[in-house]
Amino acid sequence: MFEQECIAMLLAGGQGSRLGPLTNNIAKPAISFCGNYRIIDFCLSNCANSKINIVGVLTQYKPFLLSSYIGIGSAWDFDYVGGVHILPPHLGSTEGSWYRGTADAVYQNIDFIDFFKPSFVLIISGDHIYQADYNKMIDFHRRNKAQLTISVTEVPWQEASRFGVVTLDVDQRIRDFAEKPAYPNSNLASMGVYIFDWPLLKQALMEDEEDLQSNHDFGKDIIPKLLQQKNRVYAYKFRGYWRDVGIIESYYHANFDYFSSLNYSRMTNQDRRIFSNLEDLPSQYVGSSALIENSLICNGCTVLGSVYHSILGLGVYIGKGVEVRDSIILPHSKINDHSVIRKVVTGENVEIESHSVIGATKNEPLKQEGITVIEDQTVLKEGSKIEAGENVYRVR
Amino acid sequence: MCEAIGILFGNSRIDGLQGLAEKRPIEALPFGRYRLLDFALSSMVNSGIRTIGLITPYHNRTMLSHIGAGKAWFLERKAGGLFILPETIYGLVGRKEQFFLKDLALNIEYLQRDQAENVVISSCNQVFNINYHEVLDYHEDKNADITLVYKKFDTPNRKNSQTHLIMDEKQRVINFNDYDELENSPLNFINMLIIRRQILLDIINEYQEQEGFDLLDAITIKLKSLKIYGYSFQGYIGIIQSVQDYYQCSMDILDTKIREKLFLGLDRIHTKLLDNPPTCHGEHAKVRNSLIASGCMIEGKVENSVISRGVIIEPEAQVINCIIMSKCWIRAQTILNHVILDKLVEVGEGRVLQGNSENPMVVLKRAKI
Repeated sequence: MFEQECIAMLLAGGQGSRLGPLTNNIAKPAISFCGNYRIIDFCLSNCANSKINIVGVLTQYKPFLLSSYIGIGSAWDFDYVGGVHILPPHLGSTEGSWYRGTADAVYQNIDFIDFFKPSFVLIISGDHIYQADYNKMIDFHRRNKAQLTISVTEVPWQEASRFGVVTLDVDQRIRDFAEKPAYPNSNLASMGVYIFDWPLLKQALMEDEEDLQSNHDFGKDIIPKLLQQKNRVYAYKFRGYWRDVGIIESYYHANFDYFSSLNYSRMTNQDRRIFSNLEDLPSQYVGSSALIENSLICNGCTVLGSVYHSILGLGVYIGKGVEVRDSIILPHSKINDHSVIRKVVTGENVEIESHSVIGATKNEPLKQEGITVIEDQTVLKEGSKIEAGENVYRVR
Repeated sequence: MCEAIGILFGNSRIDGLQGLAEKRPIEALPFGRYRLLDFALSSMVNSGIRTIGLITPYHNRTMLSHIGAGKAWFLERKAGGLFILPETIYGLVGRKEQFFLKDLALNIEYLQRDQAENVVISSCNQVFNINYHEVLDYHEDKNADITLVYKKFDTPNRKNSQTHLIMDEKQRVINFNDYDELENSPLNFINMLIIRRQILLDIINEYQEQEGFDLLDAITIKLKSLKIYGYSFQGYIGIIQSVQDYYQCSMDILDTKIREKLFLGLDRIHTKLLDNPPTCHGEHAKVRNSLIASGCMIEGKVENSVISRGVIIEPEAQVINCIIMSKCWIRAQTILNHVILDKLVEVGEGRVLQGNSENPMVVLKRAKI
């Protein structure tokens, strides 16, 4: 039997309904990100780079693409002792149910965790964009003899009420934790990354399961209760880029944030790479009359038109006379000749026929910063006109 | 389809590459985001061949670090998979044999252990994408002992070392012919063949003691006694034996029609994946008619060029009609025209390098200019 001190449980079951058309068919962690990646690549690569070799992925909502993408985890070198395990809801000897909350999802997999006999359990979320070395956090946890360590980061004050907010004592011990408070008294937000001593977590999960009032949620129930019981709960301050991509606007900006973080040293440095289960596609082809400025272009793309400040995913086709601006085109989408695309996020395999105008401006105030979102597999007929800020769903 | 195993000759000793193939076998020469052997290897894998033996040369480090256990080609498996075969240390550098019989004799156990009916043999210094299903079907339809794959070129091909086939009206090969100036549309043997495993074993046993004997020499002797047919390959093939071939073939793949045949069909060319970020085109980048792999940072002008993975081209640099291999760094205001940069070359600010289309300038690996 292979034992590891720390194993990771990755929460990937949420629907992510605030991403509108993008999550209509696929789970949020499986959404394509910055051309080459899917959102979950960041967490899985963090685990791989931190040498955490046992990862349980808790799936529930539309898991097919996510499961097939992860496979046995060879893309992240998890096809090793331990490895990655997809854990959907299942039947027990007496009963079975859907995961009713983040804590319940872990509760239902106590057997899985016990099987590996870890000292610590790392709980992470599959929908955050950040690069971290979890070992630093584990060291911190051990050094402070903490029973629970919560990774926190500073967020702008006006956004603090969207997160779980912590207040600290001088020694970084958490005095108070408030989940989505209306009037936050701190701008230190929980990143949804926790390290628990496994015996404590197991106990807390079992108590929580008995509690009929509970939402079975880490932020709402488990953490406040552990604080109340005077356990040693510490905050680990994470310094670095972190973003929750829960809504279209943050998804859009996170993509361009990652793009602007690329520089010479990042391109040439091979350590702490973000791994992904890449499709092996030929090099991008840029045509004789193409114009590409300030954009990120993936393998398999064919660009014959103009692309400004945009991100093109794997295998995207941009036809002649097309103008793409400020947009994120997800893999295998096709934009045909003479269409104009402005500030659009297209799903995967979208086809926009020729002479269409997507993201046309109008005079009313713009919804979602004027970002137009198109569901995957949609085909927009020749000459389509879609106004800015619309969510376009596929006709079924 | 009947079962087949594959043998790839990764140890041809071609010596016309001005140093590009000095520290690495030509089969491991980078070609865009690929290495040459990816084409032969992927073709076999895509044809359902699950057991492949690769004969490696003595300086095999780049080749082995590229293919590893064959994972990128789905060859890392319990049943069959990739077999790394040694070459014989017999013979001299610069010998011309394509399928050296002593190399096969040394690895005869690989051929004896498997029960497959046929063996597909190919060299891997060529850019092509073939599905052997059809060739194997043809081989069985003709009930052939050996099927040689040939390509009919429209114009006479100037390569001396090419073997030409002479066939009767039933596609049976009756003779071989070396390069002939007068021949209008020669049928070039393109270094791929299918042979019945038992017949191959017999040939090895019979001729392995012969000095410098090639499989083709043995086949020539057996022309009358064996049923040998030719199969016409319709796709694109770029045979690489010189810097000019290499340059021309790289420029060929800028042609969309050729690229579609090679890369965009159902059978894909696989290569080792590197998990690079996508390629960044900067504020003032001007890229025209070029192929660019992942992980590049392009801020200058690129025209009619093939750029491999992880290349950096700084602002106001001009890269025109060039082949840039991976991880090269081209500093600002540099001008490169008709240049081939091997891997990890750094070109300093403001340098001007100029070759011409007949004689592209070659800069060797890790050079700093």
